[in-house]
Amino acid sequence: MEGRPTDDGELFARAQRGEVAAYEEIVHRYQQVAFRTAYVITGSAADAEDAAQEGFVKAYRALASFRAGADPRPWLLRIVANEARNRVRSTGRRHQLELRLAEGFRPGGAAPSPEAAALAADERRRLIGLVNELSEEDRLVIASRYFLELSGEETAMALNIQEGTVKSRLSRALARLRERVEESARA
Amino acid sequence: MPELTALEQQLIRLAADVQWPDTPALIPAVGRRITERRRRWFESRWAMAAAVAILALAALIAYSPTRDTIAHWFDLHTRFQQLPQLVPLTPQPPGPLGKRLGLGDATTLQAARAGVTWNVLLPSLLGRPDEVYLQLLPLGPPGGVVTLVYAARPGIRTSHQTGVSVLVTEARGSVNKDFFGKILGPGTTIDEVSVGGHSGFWIAGAPHEFFLVDANGNIRDETLRLATNTLLIDEGGTIVRIEGDLTKDQALQIAASLS
Repeated sequence: MEGRPTDDGELFARAQRGEVAAYEEIVHRYQQVAFRTAYVITGSAADAEDAAQEGFVKAYRALASFRAGADPRPWLLRIVANEARNRVRSTGRRHQLELRLAEGFRPGGAAPSPEAAALAADERRRLIGLVNELSEEDRLVIASRYFLELSGEETAMALNIQEGTVKSRLSRALARLRERVEESARA
Repeated sequence: MPELTALEQQLIRLAADVQWPDTPALIPAVGRRITERRRRWFESRWAMAAAVAILALAALIAYSPTRDTIAHWFDLHTRFQQLPQLVPLTPQPPGPLGKRLGLGDATTLQAARAGVTWNVLLPSLLGRPDEVYLQLLPLGPPGGVVTLVYAARPGIRTSHQTGVSVLVTEARGSVNKDFFGKILGPGTTIDEVSVGGHSGFWIAGAPHEFFLVDANGNIRDETLRLATNTLLIDEGGTIVRIEGDLTKDQALQIAASLS
């Protein structure tokens, strides 16, 4: 059907046959999540760009190892995340990941009253600030799971841990965040 | 799926408001790198240097004097080499049999013997040759080459390649891998043989071209003669080449009758 997006399986099959255009379409589809995943790990946009680019190049070279029918997203994210971690190790620096909020409201959101808007904005800023104050381990797992909206499997791939560890680590991170939220509310 | 806590719901709502750095356009850089990598192999300096070296070597080998020198360096005087396809035969010019084959100057047996310093052997089994040719320097090898042409002989088919029954070619040298070479086509076989204590090779199969290495160690192309089955024998310093639509036994018997 004209205009129907080519599915990932077909794209990967074509890319595995050496069709560069098919691989470029794959890059187009996954570059945002790959870049943001690398950004969460490195804390630097420049390092994340380098890591994502290198990751996609390495993934292309490793296309033969991609199992037909498998979900490509975890496979790609694992390669990019590995590259991001390697970059952190080789440069010896990890930038503090500081999550920020976009100014204003999301498009399509109902226009609140100025007071409600100010209150909601304060609550969001407070929450993101509390996330930023968490340990790196807690911050990474929360950012991966809720902000990047990675699945448990993808989070495990990105953080190079077991999927079960993702659950336990996330549970502890949420517990610590909840404590801080409650402390903040009391203050 | 476990029910999301209020905190989790807050975080999910917050996700839409997180400000991420702009995603860079990765496609141009990635596309360039994966295609560059393909080109790099062919365009690398090493590949270019190798290509230049191969071309230079090919040119040296194609040029007979340098090929001889290279062969001498490596002690590679004979090359038995399979060719995927041989050049089709071209029609022979009219005239005497030997003239069609470019064997040199027509002469008599007596004159040929007088023209060289070595003993020309005759295969008694074939009787007197019908034609005799002599080729001296600069076209022939050092010491000259004598060819005996035999037209139809009983029990021996006339070659449809040479138009003769048997060709016996003699020159100074020796029949071993240091002095004779032959280009073999598909389906051509080579066997080492011995005749009266003299070593040699029986080469059977598709038509082929000869190139010989003369007694001075120079490789000489013998492209004018398209041989059929061939027996090469080292007769004590004289190379004897017997060509024709012969069986191996016939060729060995002819060689055994040389005197």
